[in-house]
Amino acid sequence: MESQIHKIHQQLVNKDITCVALVSEKLNALKANTHNTVNSTLDDLALNLAAKVDSKITNGETIGLLEGIPFGIKDVYMLQGTTTTASSDLLKNYKSAYTATAIQKLLDAGAIPVVKENCDSFGHGSSSENTIFGAVKNAINPELVGGGSSGGSAVNVAKDYTVFSIGGDTGGSVRQPAGYNHVYGLKPTYGRISRYGLMAYASSTDCVGPIAKSVEDIRIILNVMSGKDVKDQTTYASAEINADSISDTSEIKSVGYFKNFIESDAIDPKIKADFLSTIEKIKAKGIEVKELDFFQSDILVSTYYTLAMAETASNLSRLDGSNYGNRIEDKNLKESYAVTRSENFSEETKRRIVGGNQVLSQGFSDEIYLKSLALRDAISENFEEDFKDVDIILSPVTPSTPPEIGNSLKDPHAMYLSDAYTVGFSLGQLPTLTVPQGTETGLQITAAKTNDELVLKFANFLKDTI
Amino acid sequence: MSKIMTVDILSSIKGAQPSEAVNKLFDVIKNAQPTNNNSFNNNRNHCLSINDLREDEVIESSTTEKQIIIENFPKEKKGYLVVSKIIEE
Repeated sequence: MESQIHKIHQQLVNKDITCVALVSEKLNALKANTHNTVNSTLDDLALNLAAKVDSKITNGETIGLLEGIPFGIKDVYMLQGTTTTASSDLLKNYKSAYTATAIQKLLDAGAIPVVKENCDSFGHGSSSENTIFGAVKNAINPELVGGGSSGGSAVNVAKDYTVFSIGGDTGGSVRQPAGYNHVYGLKPTYGRISRYGLMAYASSTDCVGPIAKSVEDIRIILNVMSGKDVKDQTTYASAEINADSISDTSEIKSVGYFKNFIESDAIDPKIKADFLSTIEKIKAKGIEVKELDFFQSDILVSTYYTLAMAETASNLSRLDGSNYGNRIEDKNLKESYAVTRSENFSEETKRRIVGGNQVLSQGFSDEIYLKSLALRDAISENFEEDFKDVDIILSPVTPSTPPEIGNSLKDPHAMYLSDAYTVGFSLGQLPTLTVPQGTETGLQITAAKTNDELVLKFANFLKDTI
Repeated sequence: MSKIMTVDILSSIKGAQPSEAVNKLFDVIKNAQPTNNNSFNNNRNHCLSINDLREDEVIESSTTEKQIIIENFPKEKKGYLVVSKIIEE
């Protein structure tokens, strides 16, 4: 079974490498890298933790599977004492006062955080160009974008600068960069992992998501981070997913795909052809494949962005420079708020806040916001019906290959539409995994709510099938 | 209170204007035909159980946490945290 975590764990236990040497190697690679993946490295913290792991090994003590494994954190997670910038001017000097639950669980398991990773500011983007730290460059072709918003995290994993990274996925922000950089990226069922300590973008779809190089590593990290948390009332208790249970793929009998995604004019012909060829390979394994009807891409994208903008306008209203952040003083409190926000938010963030306040304002809310909520319900209902017929829904991750750096921010509407295949699953709060197979930007595997195990199972099946 | 709140005031962003890219998204919603258009009949509200809340007790923050919160405050003068002047309108 392929697993970077198991491999490094064994090397540490066998004393082939020391943890300090391993962590130093990652820190050096991160600092020397030219892909703009790093907002800050965590040298002192990481090296201290590594020394403790080494002394345990030297003393003959048993170490846990994640102990000493270096990982990256998208710069929207709180980690006490480290700067958490959200790649923004407003929070460029903001220090986390506490640690996010998901990150704390990894720390408790002994994993070592080495870097806070570049991303689109507050998660607002699909290319990791909306950042004060410079556009993230794609791991395979640095002329192209790294994807977003968790671009730095996906590139770090692809380049082996981190063993795994923790991204955040609101409308595709883990799955799309994973696809663009040929690694695995999971958006678990909404509520499986606590959002406490993840800077809120759109609270009703925000998910903590692991990025790694193997299905097994995704399983290990998912198990550690999952679980109910009193600090996030939307979390639920979930059972651990066993390695054995996801290697038996016999229970998957039927797979569906959305006909309109594939028949769309917007899809790249090569992605379309590769996707259909994958479908044929699945059929050849005796699995029934069904074509499904779904909402048009423009409806999905518009519903998602309407709700996400409304939620982000509300969530970011607290960023006014009064208690923290880069305050700019003016003649009175209101002016100080306005100048602080005008000068410190990026154009894309401002666009989304303004859009959100538009839909929430009197006269607009019935026509747009409430209608979007109704559409979201219809989308969820559609999924519920689909999963009565099929076990898995398979989809491309993106309609196109990654754009060149510099193009996405010029045409925001085109950038929003590029999320057409990821946002629907976010609105449905479903578990969806990007696998680096099948098309140039990978495939998305989706199952019914809370059935994250089946997603990993099917990923194992695909690994052996295509 | 008949004052109209424009998006720049609502957003606390100077000179903010609705954008064309975002308005295109809203136009799609205006023209959409949801199968269930009755928002009051919404059966998928993201409701949470109120029987499953944590104990209502004060949990003291750690000294480190308090220290960082103070450190993050933008302006300090003679040991006091300085806020902007508030003028009543």
